[in-house]
Formats: sequence, C-alpha cells, structure tokens
Amino acid sequence: MDRKGSEEPSARRRDVLRAAVAVGGAAGLSACLGYTGGAAVETGPEDLSTLPARQHAWNDRVRNDEYGNTELPSHQTLLYLDLRDGPDADARSTVEAALRTLDRAYVRSHEGLLHSIAYSPAYFDRHYDESLPEDLGLPEPRRLSPFEEPEFDTQDALLHLASDSPDVLLRAEAALSGERSTLNGVDVGAALTDAVEVADRRTGFVGAGIPAAKQSGLEGVPADGPVPEASPLFMGFKAGFAANQASEDYVTLDGGPFAGGTTKHVANIRQRLADWYGEQSFDERVMEMFSPAHAERGLVEGVGENLGADSGIDEFVGDIEAHAREFGRVGHAQKAARANRDAEGNVRLLRRHFESADDNVASLHFPSLQRDIADFEAVREAMNGSDVPAMTPAVRQRVNNGILEYIFVKHRGNWLVPPRSLRALPTPTGGTPGL
Amino acid sequence: MKRRDYLAGLGLAGVGGLAGCAGLVETRSVAAAPPVLEDRPDAVYFPTHVEGMGMAGSAESGDGEYAFGLMYSYPHRFWNVNGGAVSRTDIEDGDDVHLMATVWDPETRTVLPEAGLSLEIARGGELVSQEVIYPMLSQPMGFHYGANFGLGDDGSYTVTVSVGGVSTRRTGSFVDRFDEPASADVAFDYSRSTRDGLRFENTPDRAGSAAAVEPMEMMAPNAVAPAETDLPGDVLGTGSTGDAVLVVGRLEAPPEGVDGEGPYLYVSARTPYNRMVVPAMAVEGTLARDDGAVFEGEFVRTLDPDLGYHYGAALGGTAVESGDSLTLRVPTPPQVARHEGYETAFLEMPPVEVTL
Repeated sequence: MDRKGSEEPSARRRDVLRAAVAVGGAAGLSACLGYTGGAAVETGPEDLSTLPARQHAWNDRVRNDEYGNTELPSHQTLLYLDLRDGPDADARSTVEAALRTLDRAYVRSHEGLLHSIAYSPAYFDRHYDESLPEDLGLPEPRRLSPFEEPEFDTQDALLHLASDSPDVLLRAEAALSGERSTLNGVDVGAALTDAVEVADRRTGFVGAGIPAAKQSGLEGVPADGPVPEASPLFMGFKAGFAANQASEDYVTLDGGPFAGGTTKHVANIRQRLADWYGEQSFDERVMEMFSPAHAERGLVEGVGENLGADSGIDEFVGDIEAHAREFGRVGHAQKAARANRDAEGNVRLLRRHFESADDNVASLHFPSLQRDIADFEAVREAMNGSDVPAMTPAVRQRVNNGILEYIFVKHRGNWLVPPRSLRALPTPTGGTPGL
Repeated sequence: MKRRDYLAGLGLAGVGGLAGCAGLVETRSVAAAPPVLEDRPDAVYFPTHVEGMGMAGSAESGDGEYAFGLMYSYPHRFWNVNGGAVSRTDIEDGDDVHLMATVWDPETRTVLPEAGLSLEIARGGELVSQEVIYPMLSQPMGFHYGANFGLGDDGSYTVTVSVGGVSTRRTGSFVDRFDEPASADVAFDYSRSTRDGLRFENTPDRAGSAAAVEPMEMMAPNAVAPAETDLPGDVLGTGSTGDAVLVVGRLEAPPEGVDGEGPYLYVSARTPYNRMVVPAMAVEGTLARDDGAVFEGEFVRTLDPDLGYHYGAALGGTAVESGDSLTLRVPTPPQVARHEGYETAFLEMPPVEVTL
C-alpha cells in the first residue's frame, strides 16, 4: 500500500511547510506558497514606538497553553551573520532599515513575526577599540562540560526569527536578502545582506505534533517512530514549565549601557535517541529527565501535560545523592535546578529551545536568556552532574546521569541582545553613531 | 569442524592475525552464536564460544594526552549492569559489528577505565551513528568500551573516538593528567567478508567450566592489574568475593593527590585466571583488631601509575598491625557491562574478611 497516498492531507501539508523552512530561499518559498496560498497576515504598526523596548519581549506575544506555559512559535530560523565591512554609519542604517521593515511588515506575534538580533563578544572585540563594560557578563563561549568539544560560534551577529507561519519566515528572509522589494505590502527599506553575509543558517520547529511528524527517516530518532504525537520535543516530554522559567523581567539587564537588553547563550545539541527510547522504559525516561521520585510517585503522565505549569522539580533537588544511591540514576531537571535558582528562589534562566532536522539529523537549538552568561554556565555545570559518579559508580560521567548519554553539544555561542534602541551594530559603550 | 579445530589449535593469534584466513572459515550468520548456557555458575565461566577480533586502527589525541585503539568483532550479546540489576542486550537486526575502543596513557600504557567514551561514525561526510559506548569487561580483552553498531555497506568509515575528562581520583604523576576531553579519528575499512574471516569457535567442551579465555595479545595494552609481586609497598593479604580477587596492600604514605595521612591501604581488584582490572564498584572497609574497629571508611576509586586502577583509603595515622582483620564490603558491584562468561560473576559480592 502506498503510504504517501493514504496520508492525511494535513499531515502532508505540514511536512511540506517544515521542509520549506529547512530548504529556505526561493525554492522553499514557492513550495510553501503552493500549500498556504500566502494567507493574509496582519501587518505591524506604522508607529514603531508602540513596540516593546526589549527585543526579547516575546512572552506576551505568543500563545500560552491552558496552564499558562509559553508556547513558542512553531517555526524558527537562526541566521548567523558576519559584517561585510566595518560597523560604520552606512552599515548601521542598513541593519536598522532592514529590521524596521520586519517590524512594519508583520504584527509582532506568533501569527506574524518575532525577531531579535544579538551580537557576539567577538563582534565587539573585532570591530572596536573600546571594551564592553566590565560588569557585563558576556564572555567568549567555552567548553562547559568535561566531555564536549563544541565548535564556538563567533560570527558577528545572530538574527533569530520565529513565526507559526513558515511562509512568513521565508518571505522575511527573502526580504532580508534583497530578493523582494515588498514584504506583506510594506516596502523593503534595505536588504540586510547589503551589510552582512549569512555565515550559517539553522532552522527548527517546536510544538505538539511537529517532532512526531518529523521523526520518520531522521538520523538520531529510532526508525519505529517513538516520539509521541503530543510531545513538543523529540525526547517525548514537555519542557519549560512556567514555574521553572525565569521571567523576562528577571533576565533583563537593569543597568549599564545595554539596560533593557539581555544575554543569550545558544547551543546546538545533536540528539541520539536510540537508547533513550530503545533501552529505557517510560519510567526510566522519567527518572532521567525529571527525577527518580517523579517515576516512583507516578508524577508524570504521557508527555507531562498533567504537570500543569510546574515540573515540581524543586521538591527533589536535595535528593540527588539519595536518589543516586537508591535508584542508580539521577534526573536531568533535578541536577540543573540546583544552580537555576537565586537566593530568593527565583529561576535564573529563560530557556527557549526548539528542535531541528537540519542536515536530516535530530538536534536541539538551545537559546537561553539570562542576566549574565555565568548564570547559564553555572546551570550547565550543575547539569553535568560531575559530582554524582563519586557518590556511586552506578552513575557514570554520561550514563544514568540525566540525559547526558543522548546529547552531543556541537556548537556554543554567547550573545548580547541589546534593547531595540541599540539593535543596529552597537558599540561596546552602547552607542549607534551615525543613526 | 576440521577447520575450526585447526583455528583453535592456533590459539589466540594477534590482532588481525587471522584476517587473511577469510577463505578458511565458512560464512556464518551473526545470529549463529550458541544459546546462553542454562545452568551458569555465579562465577567466571568459560563462554560457549570465542570470537577473534580485528584492529580497525589506533590514534593519539592531538595533545598526546590519550592514545586510542579501535577493534571490531562480530556483534555480541552482552549484559548491562545498572546498580545490582543485569539486563541482557541482544544482537539486533542491522547490527554488523561490535566495536571496542580502549583509551590509554601513551606514556605509561595504563588503560583508563571510567573515562566516558563516545564514538561518532561517518561515511563520506554523512553521519552513520554516534553513541556513548559502555564500559565492558571481556575475558580476552579485559576492560574496554563497546557497543554493537550497524554499518551497512562495505567501505571506508571514519570513526571519531572521543574521551571525556577522567573524573576518577588520580594520584602520583596522574594528578594533573586526563582532565580535558579529546578526540581522534580512526579510519576503519570495513568489509563483511573480512569480518567473517575473524575467528569464531564454538567451545562446547569447555563452556561453563571454571576458567576464562586467555587474554588476547593486542596492539593496544590490556587492562591487566599488576602481579602481586609488582605491586608497590607491602602486599598484606588477598580475599575473594563474587569471584573477584581483592589483593590488599599498604603504602607508608598515600600517593600524591590523596587527602589524609598514611598509611594508605589499597585494594587491587582483578578477575580470576587472567588478572584483568575489575573497576567501577563501590568499596567500603573496616579495619579491626582485638579491641574493635580502628578504621572504617570508603575505599575510593583511584587511578595511579604504579598501583594501576585501585580502591584506596588513607588511614590517618592508624597503623596496620599483623593479624588485623580487614572486612571489605561492596555496596555496588562493578558497573561495567559484561561479555559472556563474566555476566554472572562480580554481582553478588558478600563482605569478605581478609586477615592482614
């Protein structure tokens, strides 16, 4: 029987749309338009002062689920950019005009387009004599576990685009690269690629149904298609529960020249889920993702919908040694949470991860926002659980130690997301001369 | 059977020594391994069959800190150990080889157990597989890291072997070593016919007996524990539990890298018959004499260039006297997967008393 022929039209349509974002360019767009017909999307405001000052203010502009958990836009693109020349007034005008085009062309929401541009420490170092403020926590990316050897992303800038609509993403990209003169009826002010070249382009998706639809034939996910339909992510569970996420206010820089901005770490993490699904029972996956107590008490049903807005992990953060000894396993969330709370109990990181099938390999793009990159580094160190194997040999460097066995970090980059007013090639002291 | 008798008569040839014999051995399906014995002793036993292995290649990390060896054989069934639980991993459809990697110090040729290892396999730039592979014990090879992989077609594969920084306590000249991760590429020319030329010998006459397959000579060092006569300090006694041999010895002072005062009591754990290192178990001990316990504590997993991988405790000024009794307990058995013949040993490990 011809499976393709019997497939639901909607499933087939979704496949094409995702593929279109992954392919990108004119080919992707034409494939996409054949399926969407280019449905009308609300434009953005004429008066850009009505937009939030923070580029990273996304939470009020996306869907929430019934429990109040943020649902990120279904389709996302990361454009890694290198300046063609120095960051002069012309380049600055070009970048600002290109981003204003996006602002005006699409309503700033998951139905339209969310975007933010960020700059690497290498950008500030390469192009300026002055230094960033000493108290700005934006180090060069580095290795964050004793077993990873990632490539470091040191391109000048990272433009993050997100939308529920693949053709919005593709059209926006076409405008940025000068392939369109209008975008959703709005004149394209400038092509971003006049000032920068795209050094790397990475794409992804998130949300219930999409990973399941994408798993077939994907390297890293077993051939029997174990990813549940209800799961927003390949590993089969929800993540980013509201109670376990920092607020946007919390991660926002509250002083200095980039007040109103934030720092962003973006990792790309290859996933190898054969043993995750093949060797482990559901309870064992719950143990390794959350905590052994989550499995023992039956706290997680299915993809974790029943957890509501709180994974409940804080209750078990102190039990790591006891769990390691009793169960021979410790949980990923349990370990990471150790470092992800401040003295008052506030969550320090705002995680915005999404999945990828780039190069037909399952991976996770992991952007995290925080006031200081050191906050992220501390959480990652806690997640490494390097202290646990000394408690019992049953927990090894990467085996039975959360989810470390199944994930391989391929890229890390650190970025400054300036406030919107400074988004066009800022200087280290928070200026945009020439604009 | 004549051919197999002939091959058996050769004994365990060096790695690759039989690669040219492909034509001598009938092609067989990898599923042909004989069934696991029904009545296995709770001890080391001679397996139902013996398989040869081929050398894929070796490499050093760029900084010269680590040397890697990559070997292959027929896909294996093996047994994973998690805590006290043992689960059998069978050969799956699509498995073509059992890949085995070892990592060692190029200077001392000490094999490094408890270093997380992963393999990435690519062919023509395309990802074929990537896995964290498990620490394992096999009789001919001792400690290594291994997993079954599907490769598919004959051809040239690039296997990137990656090691994580070693988290085990390190002492002596190893104190500042093995902190960083490293990788190296090994080119692996795989062909099914070469694989099928590897030795495969059913051993029905010896299967189940209290014995072990002889260690195999390899280009890579074996994880053999030092002979008692080669251990530094004074060897004070030997015990056995779960069929593991525990050699107890003393150094006057702890090796550099150990907090605490001497003397330093060490336990060098090895397999019976072939003296392979038995790593990754939890060991606690109580040293007692007439008036009761004089020391009680953990014997910490430690890697030392002279002692090798061992379990050690600094006694903090408590002298060891002749006639003292050391009771060793193993709350967690060796957390290493087992090839056949080791899967029933080193699991139930009751406390053992060694008179020093």
